[in-house]
Amino acid sequence: MAEQRAGLVGARVASGAALQEAPSPLVALIGPPNSGKTTLFNQLTGLRQKVANYPGVTVEKKVGTVALPDGGELDLVDLPGVHGFSARTLDERVTRDVLEGRVEGIRAPDALVLIVDSTRLESQLMLVEPVLELDLPTLLVLNMCDELEQRGGRVDDSHLAERLGVTVARTSARSGAGVDLVREFLATEVAVAELPGPVQPRTLSNIPRGVALPMVDAFKQRRARVSEVVAGAGFRSPDPSGFSERLDHVFLHRIWGPLVFLAVVVLVFESIFTWAVPIMDGVELVVGASGNWLTATLPDTWFRSLLVDGVWAGVGSVVIFLPQILVLFLFLGVLEDSGYMARAAVIADRMMYRVGLQGRAFLPLLSGYACAVPAILAARTVEDERDRLATIFVTPFMTCSARLPVYALLIAAFIPDEPLLGPILGKRAAMLLGLYGLGIVAAIGTAFLLKRTLLKAEPTAFLMELPPYRVPTLRSLGLRLVDRSGVFLKRVGKVIFTVSIVLWTLTQFPRTELGPPPIDDSALASIGHLIEPVIAPLGFDWKIGVGLVTSLAAREVIVGTLGTIYGVEAAGDESFELQDALTDALTPASAIGLLIFFAFALQCMSTVAVMRRETAGWKWPALQFMYMLLLAYAGAFIAVRVF
Amino acid sequence: MRLAQVPLRQTVELVRIDLPPEQAEPLLERGVLPGCRICPVRSSPSGDPIISIDGSLLAFRKETAACLCVRLITQFGDAG
Repeated sequence: MAEQRAGLVGARVASGAALQEAPSPLVALIGPPNSGKTTLFNQLTGLRQKVANYPGVTVEKKVGTVALPDGGELDLVDLPGVHGFSARTLDERVTRDVLEGRVEGIRAPDALVLIVDSTRLESQLMLVEPVLELDLPTLLVLNMCDELEQRGGRVDDSHLAERLGVTVARTSARSGAGVDLVREFLATEVAVAELPGPVQPRTLSNIPRGVALPMVDAFKQRRARVSEVVAGAGFRSPDPSGFSERLDHVFLHRIWGPLVFLAVVVLVFESIFTWAVPIMDGVELVVGASGNWLTATLPDTWFRSLLVDGVWAGVGSVVIFLPQILVLFLFLGVLEDSGYMARAAVIADRMMYRVGLQGRAFLPLLSGYACAVPAILAARTVEDERDRLATIFVTPFMTCSARLPVYALLIAAFIPDEPLLGPILGKRAAMLLGLYGLGIVAAIGTAFLLKRTLLKAEPTAFLMELPPYRVPTLRSLGLRLVDRSGVFLKRVGKVIFTVSIVLWTLTQFPRTELGPPPIDDSALASIGHLIEPVIAPLGFDWKIGVGLVTSLAAREVIVGTLGTIYGVEAAGDESFELQDALTDALTPASAIGLLIFFAFALQCMSTVAVMRRETAGWKWPALQFMYMLLLAYAGAFIAVRVF
Repeated sequence: MRLAQVPLRQTVELVRIDLPPEQAEPLLERGVLPGCRICPVRSSPSGDPIISIDGSLLAFRKETAACLCVRLITQFGDAG
């Protein structure tokens, strides 16, 4: 192996000129979760990262560019954190496929960097055997060495290097110590054109190749071999961390634990509702003001209308989500990086388990009360694929903030402002609470149903690793925010924008001599007329129908649309004229039906867009849309007859 | 005895995992193997055990813990 390396280095130096034309080498970064892998990745690549999805699956592909000391560059792929190469876990399957070179769009890696938490060396090194079978230049990174030594542990890395046949580097990725050693390895050991192709097809599995053993025994033997190597390297396990233990004493306490949990939940909730709002208002102001400037500056043509009413409105409706997403992900990032999130998941688990969901799904689901879009993105923390699907499928039932203007309008118009339970609860508040409750019931019921039918899975042995508490670094938080918002803007933003333009177009035809038609005669209204027979049993007329169509883009749009159709100036949900128009148009029973319709229906193209991205296809968003539509229709149907 | 019956802070050795391979695999991958030493550190507020193994903290559902057969490590029981 050593001669091979020397030869590679020599050849590389000789053909320096040829290097410029050859494709960048690809190095794979692999390791268990909580080993500091992502921190190392960030240290090596900085902002030069690209995030996408592996084809057809919802596993993220993170590739970055590493600048080498000699001026060269190579690509580094941050593979998902794994404990093995089981075919049963999506992350492990994808990792295995990438390493075996069987994934489209990414070459088989030319070298490997295996990173482990040196404070837990024995269990973390279980990956080394299958990885070595790939027979690639490998660097073993012993991360968290500072902690290892601080807590009285030690290991002889030269012995490890010898026994395993790899280069070893000690690092402390958080502080950056040792990262230059990694760069050195990348610069010297990874040549370009000189690497021979794989001699045989690479295969990775949990059970060693050609071994016909029951799984337990295969693992036991592998563990025995690892233990031997580790013992030979004079590994001394560090003393347990008192800091984490003391924190857990509070955070997992029978009484204090749930209380802290509740406080955290309220904080996250408040942050999205209260703190994000001023920023969102600011965004709306900027969009509105710039739109007005455009209206004032440009001549009154269809182009101006397209720009202001179409494009600007479209962009505005995308950008308005950003503050909520950023705030939510900032909080979730802090909770995750500090290690508290795992504890929160443990506390929430029992409750969620009864419904068929996981503890980790609690906070993402809860944030659906603000907006389903970031909530669905946040559900990536749920590792099990089916649990995650079930979670994001029911997320839109959580009463999001876009439903509130609609609820407020209809409740104000139809429910008298009278007390129901004395001074404690008025009829209007009761209705609102009832609608919130309806959302939760629908979510729980649907989750239950899903886990029993379509997403039925073996009960998972709930395994949650509780990482030691750590102080999150600003750098990792910042990178995470940049990444998340970038992903949102690029993928989801495109769809929302497109829908806004389409809707605007529908209001522009058929043209009259004066320009765009009044909304009553527009193509959009024709659609409303078209669906009128379908919604008539619910007590809705074509005008409500148009409102329903426009609200498909976003729920609160119906308020503005109804205002326009009823010819009301400056319609808002407090507008009395609009309320009067509605009391003429709907019976109280129909109004309740409409409320229930909004409680159940998926009227948010943004949600559909994000569902499409998170499920890597149209099947699930389509199913979700139809299911919720049917439920909404049925609910409204029943309500009209009952009330 | 079962893991759930082990008093806190008592180190025990895992003897057997009474789970089918699909469910046992994640445990095996994380080092929960017959022969390994585990120590229940605390219970979650809902009673799920949290154990320490090789410096890692793992949380199990009660149902899973019930499938782990362990034995106490006597003073002279194991060499090294």
